Amino acid sequence: MTSHINRRVFLGTSALAAIAAGTSLCFPPAALAQEKPKKGGVLVATWGGFEPQAVFVPGGGGSSPLISSTKILEPLLRQDSQAGFLPVLATEVKPSADFKSYDIVLRKGVTWHDGKPFTADDVVFSIEKYWLQTIAKAALKNFSGAEVTEGGVRVSFKEPTPEFFFKSVLATSLVIPKHVYDGSEIVTNPANNAPIGTGPFKFKQWVRGSHIEYAANDKYWDAGKPYLNGLVMRYWRDAASRTAALEADELQLGIFNPIPTPDIDRLSKSGKFVASNDGYLGAAWASTIEFNSRRDIVKDPAVRRALLTAIDRATISDVVYFGRAKPGTSFVSSTNPKFYNPNLPRYEFDAKKAAKMLDDAGYPKKGKSRFKVHLLAAGWFEENGKVGQFVKQNLEDIGVEVTLTVPDRATSLKQIYGDYDYDIALSNYAARVELVPQQTDYLSTSGIVKGAAFRNATGYSNPEVDDIVAKMSVESDEAKRKDLAFKLQEIAARDLPITVLVELIPTTMMSKKVKGVGNRADISADSLSDVWLDV
Amino acid sequence: MKRSIVRRLFQIISLILGVIVMNFTLIQMAPGSLLDIMTSEQQVTDPATLQHLKHLYGLDQPAIVQLLRYTWSVFSFDLGYSYRQNAPVFDIIMAQLPSTLLLMLTSLGVAVTLGMIAGVIASVKVNTAWDVVISLAAVFFFAAPTFWLGIMLIIFFAVHLDWLPVGGMTTIGGKFGPVGQVVDVIRHLILPALSLGLFYAAIYTRVMRASMLEVFSLDFVRTARAKGLSKTRVILAHVFRNALLPVVTLLGLQLGTVLGGSVVIEAVFSWPGIGSLMLDSVMSRNYPVVLGVFVLSAVVVAVANLLVDLAYYRLDPRIRSR
Repeated sequence: MTSHINRRVFLGTSALAAIAAGTSLCFPPAALAQEKPKKGGVLVATWGGFEPQAVFVPGGGGSSPLISSTKILEPLLRQDSQAGFLPVLATEVKPSADFKSYDIVLRKGVTWHDGKPFTADDVVFSIEKYWLQTIAKAALKNFSGAEVTEGGVRVSFKEPTPEFFFKSVLATSLVIPKHVYDGSEIVTNPANNAPIGTGPFKFKQWVRGSHIEYAANDKYWDAGKPYLNGLVMRYWRDAASRTAALEADELQLGIFNPIPTPDIDRLSKSGKFVASNDGYLGAAWASTIEFNSRRDIVKDPAVRRALLTAIDRATISDVVYFGRAKPGTSFVSSTNPKFYNPNLPRYEFDAKKAAKMLDDAGYPKKGKSRFKVHLLAAGWFEENGKVGQFVKQNLEDIGVEVTLTVPDRATSLKQIYGDYDYDIALSNYAARVELVPQQTDYLSTSGIVKGAAFRNATGYSNPEVDDIVAKMSVESDEAKRKDLAFKLQEIAARDLPITVLVELIPTTMMSKKVKGVGNRADISADSLSDVWLDV
Repeated sequence: MKRSIVRRLFQIISLILGVIVMNFTLIQMAPGSLLDIMTSEQQVTDPATLQHLKHLYGLDQPAIVQLLRYTWSVFSFDLGYSYRQNAPVFDIIMAQLPSTLLLMLTSLGVAVTLGMIAGVIASVKVNTAWDVVISLAAVFFFAAPTFWLGIMLIIFFAVHLDWLPVGGMTTIGGKFGPVGQVVDVIRHLILPALSLGLFYAAIYTRVMRASMLEVFSLDFVRTARAKGLSKTRVILAHVFRNALLPVVTLLGLQLGTVLGGSVVIEAVFSWPGIGSLMLDSVMSRNYPVVLGVFVLSAVVVAVANLLVDLAYYRLDPRIRSR
């Protein structure tokens, strides 16, 4: 009897809590629009990972330096949460009729933090000496020149260059000051530890091992912004400490899974905090599964389809990721508003069917097992090892012997992308909306570069795919590009060299008094110029 | 005494050499290299760029040449350059080593003070309620994981009571005078030093108690009592001083372990020490920083042990005459 009452009480309160959590998630953004931003205050922010290697890492360097540098340095455009483009340092980007050149109109009256004016020379320098050398070499392979024009810069290409593609490059590439970097090795320039940019925040101080301090740029081109007086990016290595810091109001904004998942619900229910999944369109994180085409058994697409059918991805999403993930349906994220193909064959979990598929593929059970595979779960995320355990169990249920290894980061990189020493790899990627070149490099023959990470490590090579990728790089008609992307996903879903095992749903956790966060494709790369504190 | 200090210096040099060779070999044996990490993070795929970076990092030379070059540079007081942090290794470590040393010394201070007091009380009041409570507490703090204790202290003192800050070493952007700054650091230091210190205090309590009890049973203590000395004087002047030697030995041995234990505490309290730097550097195979941290820590531990030896001289006249 008592247990019955307890159960009812429990169900009642949790239903109430769920409603409360739901309302706290739904209402504020609508209300936000009417509120007038207040000036002042210092925001303390963090993210779910570690301190960056340097405040700005020219080559990229992962999420942490992306977060720390984009408050200071700015791109020409930025992407909003519907994959549209907003002006930043460029006010307009106009393609020529044949899409072989683009006129970039630059914003006037912008100055660098050291007082020097921002000019077209800085943009040309950034394109030629920085983007083409490091970050966008593959993306701009048809580049033929950048010249200063009246009011801006003209970028020319040897082949037609799709508008969405080029604007995506502009939205993810930072402009660096020519007068600081000219004539030096960009990678080792001391300014990378104390960057000078055009952004809403100026670099103030970096206490290694603790935090980076930013001051508001009072000469920012977007008059009246930033709303904050200052910004502090703090780094905790321990997720539970981040929860404590939020609760003690020593931290107000945490992006990209800052706290342990069970704490997300607990804090949201308290009514003092808001959890949001907005701002990850441009960094759609997924856990991927890759089959090594060089290995005898898993090179057969029929085997791959069978193995994928044997994996219970719904349970993995619920248990390993506490429901903050969902089974993948394509090689492209389902949140991708431009290119996601929803009509692909699904490999729904069905162990019996999977066993039958392996029988049909010519691998019946001999004794207890069919064959043996080496499953490598990349150890850079703790969850990957757990996913590995689930996959191992699932595969063993249909008679596949599995050797699971979970090596650390450096070893995983070397084994998957350097030595190709695995049968099945569980890895991750963060995808942008534009598929060329990051995502297409996982499938194309040109993506096979020994030792280069997060490329085609499976050795999959298909002339049809290469042809589609080549066409996508020069097709200026948006509808036709979409068709090509759909076709690409059909082939990927059929041959399965790599696919998304589960899509992750990253979470931003913030104090209720933090306002103005939103409408960005990638919150990590947002300058936070629109953010304000309601105190 | 001078001779033994000179001998010690030679020992330190050979120790550093050993640290370099051993750790270099271990890092070389681990799969993956700094190049793998850096190029994967920076998404470098161009073979020419890969080769350029390899040359820039000095990874295109045979391991033995890298080792000899590194050893030579250490003994000419240069710990090398870290491409990952884009700064000289010495600067990076010195930005974070002092805060680790502060945390380490404070927690050792807490440990020794608490441990000795508790140990003395337990031994004097042996087999009473005092002894039982102290022994139980010692077992608890020894068994409790330091990170758990840290989180519990944060939740209680920082989140619930709001007495102390949840982490960091200073109040960011806080403007205090010189005295205010010291107070600020102390406020931030209390919880991490306690979490780390209580664990070691447990060990000192046990050792001190056992050592005191042993000395209590010796003849000279009975003589002192027979002379009619007061109880306090017997405990402090005769027993305590003689029971200290094992504690001092332990202190020397533990300087190294505290450095390791601080890694966890630094993570929990976001203390800007070298713990996280060391972890990151091992994970990214950034051997100049790993070796730099080890070399500097070896120096610290060796110097600390030298000081411990000097303390022996003070404490025990028999060692002096040897």
